[in-house]
Amino acid sequence: MPEGPADRAGLARVDFEFRRKVAQKIEGNLATFCYQCGACVGDCPAATYSDGAFNPREIMLKVLYGLGDELLVEDSVLWNCTNCYNCHERCPQQVKPVEVIISLKNLLADAGICPDPVAKVIEVFETTGRTVPPSAAIDRQRQRYGLPPLPPVPMDEIRALLEPSPDRREKP
Amino acid sequence: MKRFAFFPGCLIPARHPAMELAIRYALPKLGIEIVDLEGSSCCPDPLYFKSKDKLSWLAVAARNLCLAEDLGLDIFTNCSGCTATLSEARHLLLDEALRSKVNDRLARIGRQYRGTAKVRHIASLLRDEVGYDRIRASVVRPLEGLKVAIHYGCHLLKPSLIMQVDDPNDPAVLEHLVRALGATPRRHRNWYLCCGKACQSAEVPARMMCHLLETVNEQEADVLCMVCPSCFAQFDYGQFKISQQFGKDFHTPPIYYMQLLAFAQGMPYENLGSERQRFKPECLNRYELVPTAGRHGNTLAHNGA
Repeated sequence: MPEGPADRAGLARVDFEFRRKVAQKIEGNLATFCYQCGACVGDCPAATYSDGAFNPREIMLKVLYGLGDELLVEDSVLWNCTNCYNCHERCPQQVKPVEVIISLKNLLADAGICPDPVAKVIEVFETTGRTVPPSAAIDRQRQRYGLPPLPPVPMDEIRALLEPSPDRREKP
Repeated sequence: MKRFAFFPGCLIPARHPAMELAIRYALPKLGIEIVDLEGSSCCPDPLYFKSKDKLSWLAVAARNLCLAEDLGLDIFTNCSGCTATLSEARHLLLDEALRSKVNDRLARIGRQYRGTAKVRHIASLLRDEVGYDRIRASVVRPLEGLKVAIHYGCHLLKPSLIMQVDDPNDPAVLEHLVRALGATPRRHRNWYLCCGKACQSAEVPARMMCHLLETVNEQEADVLCMVCPSCFAQFDYGQFKISQQFGKDFHTPPIYYMQLLAFAQGMPYENLGSERQRFKPECLNRYELVPTAGRHGNTLAHNGA
């Protein structure tokens, strides 16, 4: 797609490729059912406390319009989601906006874009199988309470599960 | 004794071991036998790793569920985040195509997800498998006069279709659990707000927390009770930071419900691990000094766990 989201006439162009990519992620296709009622916005804490800078209805609209390059950027607004699930609770169409946002974050990750604090937690998980790494200090604390040291996580099993499958069923 | 597989997650065993101690102290007194889930990993977390690759997230969650299936037991969790991941995984894996993809990955390690182990948050375990009366009967230090503000957090209740714990618009489970200890629950006006942990903006969670803590303060509560270790950090050190940032005097000590329960059952104050808290629940000391005679006999218990 050589041109940006708006062509010379100022009209938005639907980026179908982006829409297909979102739909291939788990539950990304749910955005299709959004009819823009805005029920997700009223109860969204990130919308309330950002004075509307974060707006789940607008994010769903951008997915429908295929405006990927407004969402899949460094410092994307997507990271302001609090993952509170209010939108999931309120949506009359069961769009699960929070899950569509997670699908978009998966696309960001595919493009190698991730805020540092998030990347750090992911790295700890991928190397230790935990989001809080084991340490001698924590084992001392545990001992104080008569608790055994943190048991090891079988990382061979975890690593085996994280490998994408060559099977085409896993391919987009 | 009813047997349940204990899914410990990361935050409680690796950051708040005193919370784990309280769980291991309290549950056997309520007829629950804790069976450790050997080889469990991070659930994985529903915020960070899920944002990277939802299919891998699902595969690791399914492996954790398999461990309980192998034992023929249902799972209880001690963290709302773990509950969210494991419950959502169970829900998603009802889809046959997705289950087959996940089982293809599990086959690499000789495992298969069958969907036989249920998942419960410890709060709903207490309500449904123990009951409020039995909790009340296990209390040796009734926390009479203790005003307890309640923070439900998000993932205990929502999405209600998947979590199936309580009415997300008017929940009651934590109020009942607090009342069973003899304490008085206080619901603050902004009880439904999120702790903001997952939001990567600096400003959004700060403004939200400030708004939330203002209404907690209005309740003049002695403690702020919650059932998630992730929320706990937000309300301990986070409360201190918010106070500084907005020039406020927020100071309600947060406490994890299981610790309040274990304390009411006789666990010594020093086992609450409050030396590591910014705001310490020292108000509890007044209950520790009361000798508890009567039907529980010699229960001025300093026997630890």
